[in-house]
Amino acid sequence: MSRASMLAARLLLLALALGLWEALPRLGWVDDEILPPFSAVFVTALQLLQRPAIHGDLVTTGLQLGAALIISVPTGVLLGILLAENKRLAQVCEPLLYFLFSVPKSIFLPLFILTLGISFWQKVAFGCFSTILIVLMSATAAVRSVREEHVLTARSYGATRAQITRHVYLPSMLPVLLEALRLAVIFSTTAVVLAEMYASRSGIGQQIASWGESFMMRQLFAGVLIVSVTAIVINEFIRWIENRCSHWRS
Amino acid sequence: MKQALSERAVTERPMIEVIGLGHTYESRGVASRALEDIALTVQAGRFTVIVGPSGCGKSSLLMMMAGLRRQTEGTILVDGRPMLDPDPDRVGVVFQDANLFPWLSAIDNVAFPLMLRGLGRSERLDRASAMLELVGLGHAGARYPSELSGGMKQRVSIARGLVQDPPVLLMDEPFAALDEQTRMTMGEELLRIWSQTSKTVVFVTHSLSEAVYLADEVLVMSAHPGRIIDRIEVELPRPRTYEMMATATFGQLRDRIWRQIRSPQPGNPA
Repeated sequence: MSRASMLAARLLLLALALGLWEALPRLGWVDDEILPPFSAVFVTALQLLQRPAIHGDLVTTGLQLGAALIISVPTGVLLGILLAENKRLAQVCEPLLYFLFSVPKSIFLPLFILTLGISFWQKVAFGCFSTILIVLMSATAAVRSVREEHVLTARSYGATRAQITRHVYLPSMLPVLLEALRLAVIFSTTAVVLAEMYASRSGIGQQIASWGESFMMRQLFAGVLIVSVTAIVINEFIRWIENRCSHWRS
Repeated sequence: MKQALSERAVTERPMIEVIGLGHTYESRGVASRALEDIALTVQAGRFTVIVGPSGCGKSSLLMMMAGLRRQTEGTILVDGRPMLDPDPDRVGVVFQDANLFPWLSAIDNVAFPLMLRGLGRSERLDRASAMLELVGLGHAGARYPSELSGGMKQRVSIARGLVQDPPVLLMDEPFAALDEQTRMTMGEELLRIWSQTSKTVVFVTHSLSEAVYLADEVLVMSAHPGRIIDRIEVELPRPRTYEMMATATFGQLRDRIWRQIRSPQPGNPA
């Protein structure tokens, strides 16, 4: 299949899904109180995006997400490198980290509320907590993906330690680190929005929860649409950068 | 070519000297003797091949000559000075798997050693593209390693080894991963490049034909511990041709190496 026809087929599938969404309530097969048609949801989403209150919610969520990433990604990367460089430390810590990784982070949410209150930093802290492990483990994998032969080659040309870090380690690790960043965005969005839905005074998650509780289906679906599209756009942007350096993971 | 040969004869001087080299390594508290009593001299401009079974320490010896590994005993002099650390001014290294950096294009791979030296970008690219021309890849500079065949990768790697114009080129089984045909072509190419640059080459291989075809002198090693058990002057004329491989001299030399490797001289426990 050529690229063009592949793209056409995908667009067709998307159009079919949206068409089904539109048709089911319009034809009366599904109660439009429960599933409003796509066009109505889309219009509602556009209207919501005009409202200052919603802007405030999106900004709050965005800031919490940004803060969580700014704290958790560099910390996770540094800890991951530390772990990869210290065999002993890795042997001691890694099983425990894997255990912790398999525990659902959501069960700790009440603890964050009890210790930090219902606040901006409680969301940020929970976001960091949910994200840092995946970043740490990816960074460890990134260091281990650096090939010993490449380091040896650079050394044979007289590279200093700093030069090896900059010209061998960094480019070797970059694709894996970008993937870690992408996963970090997904994990921390989930965590921040969940924390908002659970208990919050603002944020798009809190809005979505309250629309759901008051059975405002149009708004609820519009909120889902807005968050989904934003998440997809961010994710695809990082993937686009990843693909641009795809030839270096041969 | 003929002139180059006679020039070499006139200005004969040792480029590499290995004196009383031995190496013992420890693994789980047990000391193992990897190399013993290695002494060799390579005259400037000569092509020396080290051949031996796997595990005889031939690659380790080469890494020591490159300053990438430290021996426990003895001295290695390159161009009259001890080789304690890697020194790209004296030695270029070509590894078995080409070891190109996949995130750099062919030309940037070749220019990599110059970048470490802090040369400006345009000078780097000028010199790198001249080297790519020399190895017959002038057209492929923009390609990435994943877009090159095995033979092309190894050519890029040779260009990288030569880009700083070191007097010595050390090659660690550079063609081992290539198919037979490519291997033959690369051997021819290497001899052409060598005759144009008059480098001192030390080439490690486990292929007997490759050894005889390429070398001025073949050093045969045995394993456990690794030591040099024979030195063979290859008197075949240059330029070497494919047809020489069918001659009696070629066959005799290859047999002599094979006998040494299969059953080392009496007195040498193997």
